[in-house]
Order: sequence, then structure tokens, then C-alpha cells
Amino acid sequence: MHIPDGFLDPITIIVTYAVFVCYMAYSIYFIRRKGVFTSERVSIVSALAAGIFAAQMLNWPIPGGTSLHFVGGGLAGILLGPHLGFLVLFIVLLVQCIVFHDGGITALGANVLNMGIVAVLTGYYCYILASKIWGESRKARLIGGFLGGWLGITLAGIVCGLEIGFSPAFPFGVAVTVPVMGVWHAILGVIEGLITAFVIDYVYLKAPHVVSYLKRVSYGGK
Amino acid sequence: MVVSRKVLFLVIVLVLISPIFGVILADMVGYHEPLDVAAEILGLNDITEDINWTPFLDYTVPGLPDVLGYIVSGFIGVGVILALGYVLKRFTSKEKV
Repeated sequence: MHIPDGFLDPITIIVTYAVFVCYMAYSIYFIRRKGVFTSERVSIVSALAAGIFAAQMLNWPIPGGTSLHFVGGGLAGILLGPHLGFLVLFIVLLVQCIVFHDGGITALGANVLNMGIVAVLTGYYCYILASKIWGESRKARLIGGFLGGWLGITLAGIVCGLEIGFSPAFPFGVAVTVPVMGVWHAILGVIEGLITAFVIDYVYLKAPHVVSYLKRVSYGGK
Repeated sequence: MVVSRKVLFLVIVLVLISPIFGVILADMVGYHEPLDVAAEILGLNDITEDINWTPFLDYTVPGLPDVLGYIVSGFIGVGVILALGYVLKRFTSKEKV
């Protein structure tokens, strides 16, 4: 899903960078105002970023020339909320772009928007919704985790389809790129959903305070 | 320490096994990045190599075979992320948030 350089037109580049910068500014404001950027959570952000970076290197090639790999946006959103979760994916995407040129510098705004904002927010809200329906139960963790991971990557794929579809460089418009990207990511996203659900459940069993932190933030506490 | 030993161990294992998926199996099935394939079919100009600034392009290390380069790249990436985490941690402990 990492869009390389040369795929997006200047308007799409400017719009996606603007969205990314505005969201980052709001996240920094939120993090400072809420005082959630404690030393312990910096450790969780670092650990999750390192884990997602390593997990993204495990490309599962599929005969026919494509691949599947874990993205982790939904997982970060569920574990750390929409702002610290964004920070995790931003760090991963920045390092991939600057150090390995995986994802273009002109497409960094779009890649952060897709994986760091859309996937993270979707994961977060799916999990909150599941928690409101089923409470702090295992059912909520598994269903919320699965939906967060699956829908997160699917919506990120659809937004990616919009970006490349609107770009004049692509001869096919959004009528082609959105369904192709959406359907493909909805199929591959099942694995993302399963991994997210099991990781959330595992983390809750081993360190419940990490997952419970999300509930406190979403309901107004620290 | 920025991250716990358990997490670090998991990350090291993931990086060590990553070439099985990212290099060996990828070569076996003729894998290319999906968006690169689309660009080639459509005749688009992927300018990644034209404007490249890093010696570690596509998780390779100059002079090293692909498998070893992939592993070294993984450790470089993890190292940079943990270094960023260390800087952030120093920053937060000074601010006493």
C-alpha cells in the first residue's frame, strides 16, 4: 500500500500533506493537553513501532505477483488511541520512507493519511463501538479487534484508490481504482483482522492496563 | 531501557525470519510490489530510483547478498525507531509530564 514517488499529481500531494500536517498538529495538541505522553507510554509507542516495522517486513508473497503483509494501523489505534496510535504509524512510515525509500517522499502525506490516520481511526472507533455493545468482554476484544483491523485496512485501501484514481498520471479513474483497491484489501484484510484480534486479546490478558488505557482516554480521563 | 526484553526478542526474531518471506519466497513466486506492477502495466514512470537518496533502497545493503542485506536493513530500521523512542523518552522525562 506504500505509494511510491511519481504516482500522485501536485494537487493530491498538497491535499494529502495538508491533511496529514493538520492531523499531526491536532494530535500533538491533544497529547500535550491530556498529558498522555508519559515515559511508560513512550516505551509502548517505541515497542509497537518497532514491532509493526518488523512485522511489515514479513511480506507473504502470493503466486501471481502480489503480497500480503500486516499494516498495524488498526492495532495501534486500538492499543493507543487515535493520537498516540497515529504517532506509531507515522514513525514507522517516516523511517521506511527516509531510510529505505519504501513509499515516496512526495507520497508520504498520502501514505500517512491511509495507514496512519484512516486505518488508526477506524480501528479505534470499531473497538470503542464493540466495547459499548459488549462491555469489557473477550467477545468485544475479538470482534472489535477483528473489525478494527479488517475495516481499517479496507478503508485505507479505498482511500489509496481515491488518491491514485484522482491523479491524472493514472489512466483509470476512481471508478476503477477504488473498487479494485477496496475489494483486494477487503479480502487480504481478513488476515489483518485476525492478527489484530488475537494480539489485542493477548495483550489484554498479559497487560490489561495497556488496553484499558484506551477506554479511559475515550471517556475523558487520562 | 526503551522497550522490554520480551518485545525486543520478538522483534529480533521477526527481523531474522523476515528474509524467508521478503526475499526467498518473493523470488520463488516472482513477487513485485503491487503498485509497481500496476505502474509497469500502465506505462507509468516510477521515479524512485531516479531520485533515490538512500544506500538502503528497498531494504538492501550495498555489497551484501539480498538475504543478509534484508536482515541488516531490518536491524537498522528497528535501531532508528528505538533511537527515536530514546530521544522522546529523554524529552518526556525532562518535561515530567
